[in-house]
Amino acid sequence: MFLLQSGTLKPYLAAVRRTLTAAMCLENFSSQIVEKHNKPEVEVRASKELLLTPILISRNDKEKVLIESSINSMRISIAVKQADDLEKLLCHNFTRFMTMRAEHFIILRRKPIEGYDISFLITNIHVEQMYKHKIVDFVIYFMEEIDREISEMKLSMNARARICAEEFLKRVSHLWCNRSR
Amino acid sequence: MSRNDGKKDSSASTFRKIDVDQYSDNNFREEDADGGIGGPTEALISVLRSAPLGCKNQQVKDNARNLTLKVLLSIKSTQIDDCLGQLDRDLLDVLMKYIYRGFEIPTEGSSSHLLTWHEKVYNISGVGSIVRAFADSKRA
Amino acid sequence: MTEVHNLGVDAISCHAWNKDRKEVAICPNNNEIQVYKRTSSGWKLLQNLQEHDMHVMGIDWAPNTNRIVTCSADKNAYVWTQEGDGKWNPAWVLLRINRAATCVKWSPLGTMLVKPFARSENKFAVGSGGRVIAVCYFVSENNWWQCKHIKRPLRSTVTTVDWHPDNKVLVAGSTDYKVRVFSAFISDMEDAPGNGPWGHSNTLGTLLAEFQNTPNGGGWIHSVVFSPCGNKICWVAHNSSICIADATKGNAVIRLYTEHLPFLNCVWMGSNSIVAVHKHGHSCMPMLYSIDDNGQLYFVSKLDNTQKKEAAGLSAMRKFQSLDRQARTDTNDNALDSIHQNTINCVRKVSNNEFSTSGLDGQLVVWDLKYVNKLIWLFNLAAGEFHCWSEDSIKKRNAAKEQKGGKNTVQN
Repeated sequence: MFLLQSGTLKPYLAAVRRTLTAAMCLENFSSQIVEKHNKPEVEVRASKELLLTPILISRNDKEKVLIESSINSMRISIAVKQADDLEKLLCHNFTRFMTMRAEHFIILRRKPIEGYDISFLITNIHVEQMYKHKIVDFVIYFMEEIDREISEMKLSMNARARICAEEFLKRVSHLWCNRSR
Repeated sequence: MSRNDGKKDSSASTFRKIDVDQYSDNNFREEDADGGIGGPTEALISVLRSAPLGCKNQQVKDNARNLTLKVLLSIKSTQIDDCLGQLDRDLLDVLMKYIYRGFEIPTEGSSSHLLTWHEKVYNISGVGSIVRAFADSKRA
Repeated sequence: MTEVHNLGVDAISCHAWNKDRKEVAICPNNNEIQVYKRTSSGWKLLQNLQEHDMHVMGIDWAPNTNRIVTCSADKNAYVWTQEGDGKWNPAWVLLRINRAATCVKWSPLGTMLVKPFARSENKFAVGSGGRVIAVCYFVSENNWWQCKHIKRPLRSTVTTVDWHPDNKVLVAGSTDYKVRVFSAFISDMEDAPGNGPWGHSNTLGTLLAEFQNTPNGGGWIHSVVFSPCGNKICWVAHNSSICIADATKGNAVIRLYTEHLPFLNCVWMGSNSIVAVHKHGHSCMPMLYSIDDNGQLYFVSKLDNTQKKEAAGLSAMRKFQSLDRQARTDTNDNALDSIHQNTINCVRKVSNNEFSTSGLDGQLVVWDLKYVNKLIWLFNLAAGEFHCWSEDSIKKRNAAKEQKGGKNTVQN
């Protein structure tokens, strides 16, 4: 099962990388609705012609990335694989931890788009100040890591639960032995 | 996109004349069987040629998408290269749009197959066709 | 050869040269404009022009009248004139626009025959986010720059404007996916409307031609320019296309959909060649496209140092090897090293075979095409000789060329 999944991970990330590169063509653009303002059009959504077609890339029905782009900003929303309640919980806590510290992550959006676990908001200013391909690298790295992080957390959680249970059962068995004696 | 959306609709009524039935699955299969030439490549070319990109009726578009997806998924990974070799650049752009549309309705194993398609189309027409999937306002 | 200039600023959002290229005005991606002079010991800052409140969006330096016009996101434009002591003084322009001014351009020479300077660069056009183009001119009675508006049928921000060489026709590209040619004739100050191929009209703002970027809809127009003769316009848009419309052929449009990221800028180098410049991506490099005898657009070459290195040390052998083995014409596909390290924001034609680019990496680069043209010529020559004993590789080369060049569609 794991092998099969990692088999599609590479083309999935490659497709996301290429699509992000295409979407991240942003430029400085002053609002045509409000004077002397410069707002991320992808959030404002006031001028239809300044928005590009939103594109979705899915690896399966649970893991997907939504890329919405506009003339001066873009939004990347990631849905992370959550097979069971435990993974859901872990993912929720993990993303909550990050979004609460969004200012340190610069491109992180404080609130994910509905239906997704985490969203990034990238504006032309980010692209001007940072290397574009490095931003793409970061997002891809993030996508790789969050999967691994969550499965690792899950494993260690299970391991810990197992140890706890073992400890507990040991005591119980001790009890039992004592009583039988 | 609803049919009564924006001012443009009153002027553009061409979509009313589109024969919705021609995009239904049944029709296509008949055609395929009749023609005799019906290789998967021909099927792909014909669905891409007749793609109702500018159409305002979502139903027609969805039918076309389902049909195109069916063709895409029926072509084996090993045949993709031959198939793409027969498409011109315009059709590759249309194909790219449909690949992205296909990602929106993932079924068992469809996404991984579409990822293969995506990679192969990218290898031919570069990032340009992805840019056009974003930029063209006539969507698949 | 390329000259790389470092002015000691972090970023350059736009630049403009004076007539003899001894001085350059740049905007360091903020609300200032800096004028530099070339000296033997490098570039020296002459003056910092501070009048705008917000980002400067456009600078244009009139070569003959030696005036600088600047426009900014604060809705204003200033015309700067040089005093006797060399200081630049601003004159505010009554633009009457209510959104950001996005681009500005002086009208070209005009007729120099009668009274030199009286007619050259007597107007400028400012594009705006308020769906308006302001065509400005000087009213000497009031000692005031005044303007008239072109409003219809613009439906979104005007991103780029350019003047026809006859001074009376204007082309504009906007984010509503259209390129439009307007009459820019101002009856207050000009006597006869032009007689160019785009048609003429004696009212300002008459729509002479309108082009949809692509039949597929979409694609913001990033840059549009008239050819040197004024018969053709070339534009680049956000769907990675390069398009050319020809007024002498009934406004037929040639479109080339490239396999690259969208181009942000284009300039004509001669009557048949276009340099299109990538703004985006890690390959911030200009590319040369040409029109062949059949009127089709094709890709000629990338213009960057990797190319140059090869040419210098090269290795025709390597070139043909790569051609034979990989069927591609250049070997720098995976090389990331371009001269510009960040997005290129501004391109200007400097002379007949030179143009300059400036980017957010703070570099100002002057590119010389003479060298590249020679290279192409040599390459073709070499290919011709090669032909004698390997026809196969030529076939491959042509196939590769076709592929590289993308696709062409002709459409009316």
